[in-house]
Amino acid sequence: VSRRVLVCDDEGQILRALRIVLRDAGFDVVPASTAQEALDAAALHPPDAAIIDLVLPDGDGVEVTRSLREWTDVPILVLSAVDDEDEKVRALQAGADDYVTKPFGPKELVARLEAILRRRGDRADDPVLRAGGLELDLAAHVARRDGAELHLTPIEFDLLKELLRNRGRLLTHRMLLTAVWGPNYGDEVATLRTHISNLRRKIEPQGAERVLHTDPGVGYRLL
Amino acid sequence: MARAMGRNPLIGVVVALASVVAATLLIYALDDVAPVVSLGVIYLVAVLLVSSIWGARLGIATALVSAAAFNWFHIPPTGRFSISEGENWVALGTLLVVAVVTSSLAERARLRTEEAEQRRQEADLAAEMARLLLRGGRLEEALPTVSQRLAHALGLPSASIELAAVESDERRVAFPLRERTTQVGTLVVPAGMPEDVLARLQVRVVPQLEALLAAAQERDELLGDVVETAALRRSDVLKTALLRAVSHDLRSPLTAILTAADALDSATIRDEERLEMTRAIREEALRLSRLIDNLLDLSRLEAHAAEPQREWSSVEEILQSAVDELGLPDGTFALSVALDLPQVRADAAQLDRAFANLLENSARHSGGHPVSVRARAVGERVLIRIVDRGPGIPPAQLERVFQPFYRAGTDRTGHRGSGLGLAIARGFIEANGGKVWAESLPGQATTFVVEMPLDVTDREPEPEPVP
Repeated sequence: VSRRVLVCDDEGQILRALRIVLRDAGFDVVPASTAQEALDAAALHPPDAAIIDLVLPDGDGVEVTRSLREWTDVPILVLSAVDDEDEKVRALQAGADDYVTKPFGPKELVARLEAILRRRGDRADDPVLRAGGLELDLAAHVARRDGAELHLTPIEFDLLKELLRNRGRLLTHRMLLTAVWGPNYGDEVATLRTHISNLRRKIEPQGAERVLHTDPGVGYRLL
Repeated sequence: MARAMGRNPLIGVVVALASVVAATLLIYALDDVAPVVSLGVIYLVAVLLVSSIWGARLGIATALVSAAAFNWFHIPPTGRFSISEGENWVALGTLLVVAVVTSSLAERARLRTEEAEQRRQEADLAAEMARLLLRGGRLEEALPTVSQRLAHALGLPSASIELAAVESDERRVAFPLRERTTQVGTLVVPAGMPEDVLARLQVRVVPQLEALLAAAQERDELLGDVVETAALRRSDVLKTALLRAVSHDLRSPLTAILTAADALDSATIRDEERLEMTRAIREEALRLSRLIDNLLDLSRLEAHAAEPQREWSSVEEILQSAVDELGLPDGTFALSVALDLPQVRADAAQLDRAFANLLENSARHSGGHPVSVRARAVGERVLIRIVDRGPGIPPAQLERVFQPFYRAGTDRTGHRGSGLGLAIARGFIEANGGKVWAESLPGQATTFVVEMPLDVTDREPEPEPVP
């Protein structure tokens, strides 16, 4: 069964090429070239995922994301042609799961899309969160890597829990700070950085595969 | 009014006599209700009035006349200058003394008032000079008004403030205006002014003028710095906009090319899709190349490095070449050039770039309808009108479309302009002495009008002499 993905970009050439690339990856593309077309198409054929360009002729991809989020939690990937951290953070806060900067290799785009779709397949009621060799037993409050128990501080445990729950999704600094420390700590990026680097030492020992990715100036993503 | 009368002592004498007569008559009227001896004070009113306006001298004279009149008309025995009773002597003596003292006090008050009035005028003058000199605008433009106001306030026939050093001579007196040790200007007034006016100038006006002139000059310098900073900031803003636009406009075609290249690798690609992808790669690569041309043009124009190589050029050839260059489908443009159209002196290559950009812009917004291009000579100008049948431009944006990176919208095929074309067109047209503007009725059509001057003094296109 092919999965349906809404692709909204005002560049016709990109839409046509993406249709072929995504078809090979097992997606059925619903194209849209304006914000209004995207919202109409999503309502008519609810997609399994959406790829939305940030700059649209009749509006802005952040607005489309926000409108979609009002009624669906479909994974959303935004495309950005500008390297502007603020713009990315804005899209993520509006509910986007991740972003890809133009020009991107189509393989990277598909990989990101798969990652955010995988998370949606996770069972929400499972008390054990897993990713790669990582395992977090929420009931027993125990973290393991390849079966060996990890000694995490309460904050590191909470951070890992947040990252695992949103596996594949890019979480902004503010999202992590708010979830772990509380809404008054949204700007304490330096504190977050320290704890993340401690956590990284414990979950990614020397030579191990990197699972915790840093997006400079924006946030972190666990794959 | 009092001041005007005060200059005329004759009026003073008349007023003095009249008021003594009036006081004498008033005492006749009142001698039923009060003893005559105590009514002498009524004369003091006359003394006070006269001395406060015409000074102490006339005031004392009034006092003496009052004493005589009091004696003659009211102190018994009346009708002669003698006094029968001792107490009446006292009354007359007191009147005389009080009158003299009153008149000198009034004189002093009058002088104080005059001085206060003078100070007030000087303060008004200083405030107005400050307002004129410091309100902004160019200092040189404010100086004539300030000089005029100063001359008026001091009752001088003329005055002038020069920013240069000027020497006194037989016709004029020059007051150097200094800020610390440097001379910031000169105040020049005609020679032969009264001593007291010169003294006032020297002591009161010149120091104020010095301080104000120095402040105004300092302000002008600071303003110059601010203007320069603002210009730098604007060019910084432009550079940032350029970087953003470049990164956006380069990335979109690159993404299309990369994605199309990957699609060509697909195992499931169909033949028509393959053709579509190769065409996309070619088109997007051309788009990148045009964008790079435009960026180079723009940076040349911004750096004022686009010096036109003017030669006699045919407008028709330029328009035709611009149309050919765009490689758009036949029928995109309907060209109509007057047969007898004179040549223009311009850099043909630059005008070609300008018209290519204008035509491309109009074609993009014309919604598939042909774009009409007409060239005619009108008087001493050539007018080229490029009319599309697009959605039109709202009045507020008619000028803004010529700003770099301003873009009005997207066309049907989803290709946005780079927002550079019209800015480049205007840059090249103006560099060649022409003008370009947009006319539009929103919802209808847009006309870009290009006006190139014709060299009427040298109408015949002759080969240029080699310099």
